[in-house]
Amino acid sequence: MKHLLTWFGIAALAMVAARAEAPTLMAIRNARVVPVSGPAMARATVVMRGGLIVDVGEAAAIPPGAWVIEGEGLTVYPGLVDALDSVGITEASALEAAPAARRPGMGAPAGPTPAAGPPPAKGPEDRPMTSSWLRAADLVKPEEPRVATLRSAGFTTAVSYPMRGIFAGQGAVIDLAGERGGDMVVATPAGQYITMRSGGFVSYPGSLMGVIAYIRQVYLDAGHYKTVEGMYEANRRGMKRPDYDRALEGVMESPRILLPADRKVEMDRMIRFGKELGQATVLYGMQEGYRSADLLKGAGMPVLVNLKWPAKARDGDPNAYETLRTLEVRAHAPETPSVLEKAGVKFAFYTGGLTSGREIKAAVRRAMEAGLTEEAAVRALTLEPAGIYGVADRLGSIEKGKIANLVVSKGDLFGEKSEIKYIIVDGKKFEPEPESEAPGSGGRGPMTAEVGR
Amino acid sequence: MKRLAAVLICCGVGYAADGNSFVIEHATIHPVSGADIVNGSVLVKDGKIAAVGTKVAAKGVRVVEGKGLHVYPGMINSATELGLSEISAIRETNDTNELGEFDPQLKAEVAVNPASEHIPVTRANGITAAMTLPSTEGGQGIVTGQAALIHLDGWTWAEMTVMSGAAMEMLFPSLEAPRRSFLAPPGAAGPPFREVKKAYDEKMRRLREFFEEARRYRAAKEGNEAGLKRDLRLEAMIPVLEGKMPVMVVAPREREMKAALDFAKEQKVRMVLAGCRELGKLGPEIKAAGVPVILGPTLATPLEQDMPYDHAYALPEEFHKAGIEIAFGTFDVQFARNLPYEASMAAAFGLPKDEALKSVTLNAAKIWGVADRMGSIEVGKAADLMVTDGDPLETRTAVLQVYIDGRPVDLNNRHKRLYEEYMKRP
Repeated sequence: MKHLLTWFGIAALAMVAARAEAPTLMAIRNARVVPVSGPAMARATVVMRGGLIVDVGEAAAIPPGAWVIEGEGLTVYPGLVDALDSVGITEASALEAAPAARRPGMGAPAGPTPAAGPPPAKGPEDRPMTSSWLRAADLVKPEEPRVATLRSAGFTTAVSYPMRGIFAGQGAVIDLAGERGGDMVVATPAGQYITMRSGGFVSYPGSLMGVIAYIRQVYLDAGHYKTVEGMYEANRRGMKRPDYDRALEGVMESPRILLPADRKVEMDRMIRFGKELGQATVLYGMQEGYRSADLLKGAGMPVLVNLKWPAKARDGDPNAYETLRTLEVRAHAPETPSVLEKAGVKFAFYTGGLTSGREIKAAVRRAMEAGLTEEAAVRALTLEPAGIYGVADRLGSIEKGKIANLVVSKGDLFGEKSEIKYIIVDGKKFEPEPESEAPGSGGRGPMTAEVGR
Repeated sequence: MKRLAAVLICCGVGYAADGNSFVIEHATIHPVSGADIVNGSVLVKDGKIAAVGTKVAAKGVRVVEGKGLHVYPGMINSATELGLSEISAIRETNDTNELGEFDPQLKAEVAVNPASEHIPVTRANGITAAMTLPSTEGGQGIVTGQAALIHLDGWTWAEMTVMSGAAMEMLFPSLEAPRRSFLAPPGAAGPPFREVKKAYDEKMRRLREFFEEARRYRAAKEGNEAGLKRDLRLEAMIPVLEGKMPVMVVAPREREMKAALDFAKEQKVRMVLAGCRELGKLGPEIKAAGVPVILGPTLATPLEQDMPYDHAYALPEEFHKAGIEIAFGTFDVQFARNLPYEASMAAAFGLPKDEALKSVTLNAAKIWGVADRMGSIEVGKAADLMVTDGDPLETRTAVLQVYIDGRPVDLNNRHKRLYEEYMKRP
């Protein structure tokens, strides 16, 4: 009977994701294994059962009845983790969940614009551009097309966030496969995604100082909210009930905040701001990380490095004047990971809108050409993000008891001629989908599709 | 304070005008067209310069004592909106930027407000004439109308007008992406280049078509075609097509300047480039085409972030060194009075001093085709003069008297009134 159910499961899965196979017991035999948490093993076996790694090692025994993948000539890595993304969240679901976030001038990616949004905000009491209560865990859908694309690039896990507004919402660590959104969620909430977007001239806050003052006010409000609620809980009679404020609920729930910092001056500003707010802070962006090692090292905050290196806009004016600063950042940004590695700054990568395996590999290779070691590159896509998000007990390395998220490649994962053979998510095996050529991209060079931020 | 007193005394002299005939004696004369004359005289008769030199026989005319003073020709600002705009931020006070892409029939002088507060302010600094333009950057127009050369004195616009249709102004189409609306969210990308290029190509096509249409109209008119309907728009283009009126093409960047040069060559029209903010590699081509250039504000920040701090200051010398005839315009109204300092900043950064002076006097007169009437102190020219206590390109110099067509001009103005008012404050 159980067997039959499994087969039903397989059939159902086959309908959702055509290439998935879901044996409960699976092993990869005689492969090179890079567990990340320890030294690489030249010839080892990984055994998985029920979506977990149950054994790994040179002498691991393969239980009878296991599906066996011959690992001869293949290398097994922990599944890659995209430390910041909005994968799985469709524009429509985000809009449906947070119409209040549809304010004019939000700098949102092109999409359907509302016919009549709410009136412009006049002050912090209107909670402008705030949807802190939104949970990625409630929004992710396995059928969102980027789930499969990112998975085909070797990613088994992503930390996905709603990305509109100043307090955009709660992220979730999700695995990139499942039948329903709920199946994907590994940990929630993972953090609050914060941007420094302003409402332009039409809605408060319209300036950077306004945004910072607004965030500060929200944190003060949250502190007060907590105090008042505590008092009310202790003695409900004779006290006016405190107002319910979902914006503050969302903020208080966040275990950490993500603050944007591409330029060095922004890093300095956000490091101070994060400390002032008294919140565990993760910085993201890091274009100028190559010249900010001391600052970041001193701050002791983990950082997320955008793998989408700054590049000249392909549809821009070919004669447009480019400032030295632009050229400098463009030339040096890929040195950031190697500089951070040498300085001992904890960092993880995020794809920043890159989707195809080809683009992502090219971006990692550029960092490696600028001095990043392969080992650190793999760590920044596996164990480091898992550590930053507090899920290193479940994800990020090939160890007994961890979630069976693996990527199996022919050759070194970021080698020039490497090829991803299998991706295993929660113990289910996938083969990479053939990369669709973006129309007009000619199949070469980075695509310009801007997804997420 | 002493200088102010001198100014006030001289104003007094100005009021005591007796016709437009007088002689300035014992002054240093700077004719611009020739060598300076120490201890010389300028005789003005009926508004025209009658004699210049050390031995001028002047009998029966009023004598202006010029000992220790200097006489220069009045300056010409080659690009302003004087009389057409009062406060740029207040729509009701702006008569520039007509709608439509092709408005050659507009004549700037007819809308000049002779009572504009900017006119007395500007002429108090020795500027006696200005090219006033029907449009400024930022409008939608391409052929925006006829610029007029006006005297900065007169009760009516007709009295002020020196030359109607001195140039046909064109704002050359640009390939630069249109500026983002200030309502756009920060970081929003502009339109892709191919769209900008498409719009540009389309604009250029319409521009060529318009010139072609005007040519056909001219042929029809010459051939006395029966039933030809008179069209002011096309008719206004005839002097341009015949080379009688130059097109004054505003093109700030090298790419647009190059396109404008090509266009002028293709259409066989006489051109004056204006508002150029860089030269790039176009020096030899502009020189070969014999195109004069009206330079925009020299007192400006560099065009791009990484350009040297003196980019705008040194630009006039770059043009001059390339053998290009230059003149200055302020391209605004509120700072039209600063014309001499545009030239003096250029002089401080390499432009020869005499050339700097010419660029605000004789060069401008030549470029606008009025060198027989103004621009230097020569016999037969209009008595547009300024009497100063030193070099007018120096900021410390005071302009003591100004004459337009030999009429002494009232140097009082809003700035001076405000100065006096607030000096009284205890």
